[in-house]
Amino acid sequence: MHLFISLTVNEFIKAIYDREVWQAIFTSFIGASLSTFFGCLTGIPFAYILSRYDFKGKKILESIANLPVVIPHVAVGIILISLLSEKSFWGHFFSYFNLSFIDTIYGIVIAMAFVSISYIITSALIGFESVDRELEMVSRTLGATAFYTFWHITFPLALPAIIRGAILAFARAISEVGALLILAYFPKTAPIIMYERFEQYGLKAAHPVTVLVVFFSLIIFFVLLYFSKRHAFR
Amino acid sequence: MLSVNFKKTLSNLCLDIAFEIPKYSYSFILGPSGAGKSLTLKIIAGLIKSKNASIKWDGKEIGKLPPEKRQIVYLPQNLALFPHKTVYENIIYTFKSRHLSINKDLVEKVIEEFQISRFLNRYPQNLSGGEKQRVALARAIVAQPRVLLLDEPLSSLDFHLKMHLIEFLELLKKDFHITVIHVTHDPLEAIKLAEKLFILEKGKIVFQGHINELFQAEITGFGQRILEVLKRLKISLNGI
Repeated sequence: MHLFISLTVNEFIKAIYDREVWQAIFTSFIGASLSTFFGCLTGIPFAYILSRYDFKGKKILESIANLPVVIPHVAVGIILISLLSEKSFWGHFFSYFNLSFIDTIYGIVIAMAFVSISYIITSALIGFESVDRELEMVSRTLGATAFYTFWHITFPLALPAIIRGAILAFARAISEVGALLILAYFPKTAPIIMYERFEQYGLKAAHPVTVLVVFFSLIIFFVLLYFSKRHAFR
Repeated sequence: MLSVNFKKTLSNLCLDIAFEIPKYSYSFILGPSGAGKSLTLKIIAGLIKSKNASIKWDGKEIGKLPPEKRQIVYLPQNLALFPHKTVYENIIYTFKSRHLSINKDLVEKVIEEFQISRFLNRYPQNLSGGEKQRVALARAIVAQPRVLLLDEPLSSLDFHLKMHLIEFLELLKKDFHITVIHVTHDPLEAIKLAEKLFILEKGKIVFQGHINELFQAEITGFGQRILEVLKRLKISLNGI
């Protein structure tokens, strides 16, 4: 609250007309949306396999899925840059497809996805585990294939938990700064702009940008919360 | 005719099952907890795999088919009504899942006979225990299975409700041509409905035959206890 009250109208208007700030907010939004999308695309099937199948190395995979939460984010940036720089094997490999991760939107997406995917996997895992297996069994004996059962029984019942995980992942991704400082400083995201203004010009310069970013983040958060409540099953 | 023959070894149980059930009959499997009753039903339905299991319907092997192709419906103790679907959506699920058009005559007949028209638009969590049981039975019948497997469906009900639902199960015997295997540990359900009785103990069938044949059988263990209860129940029912 103090953040909003202590800002003058002039400062706020100035921030609104700051094109660099809007570009940074846009970059953050696109980066977080794409990273959440790819996180869901890979994390949901991964969580489903963990919840429904027993195999050797399952515990190790579960632990690996939680690793990004415990690794310091600057370290994540260093790990990713050593994996994806053009001199590395993967960097060389991706260069054939004209894909570079250093100071590009792809770098932002991969860094955001790395730090946020654990939230999707953990929530989806809880969601799938909470679905009674006997519902799936009955569905199969009523004539549904395993695929139909997944889409019409398992997935809808796990969806509220998955949405909660996706919101958390999106929030985590949009606020990422540590890994981005190392891997993809450009194009600048909103937290990078705030950090840069604070570092270069001090608190007064960072304040209007911060208000705008927090305001925008809150809007996104409440919109997502609204949709998640609509999907919460009766 | 349904023929079942399989062996399944678990860490604490060795199931060795072989029996035959006439078409459209109502059979009971009675047994103590841990005897392998539910496991037997799940293997028949194809929900648990068992190597070399032979499940034959009219002499044709169906044991290799996936659960959705066997036309064997399994109804567990908790009924497993889909909580995100209304009662009506639960009932017609079998048509949707098989991409078939809804057999309206059958659906209407079942809805009427099971007296569920009042709450078709409700969700399962807003139904009473007895209503849930009726919806689950209706959903199973609408699927027109060859065999209906009931896994202790009445175990959580009080005596009054149980007797009420037994009337619906009798309806199932009379009006719908379905072969039923009903698993329970309550001899009362069996004495009212059973045409054929199996007693399962430690994974083995220790008795099979008509319920009256049990009175002449020399049986020990759980079967002996069932026999004593049945004798007492018969005396009480005769008294009534």
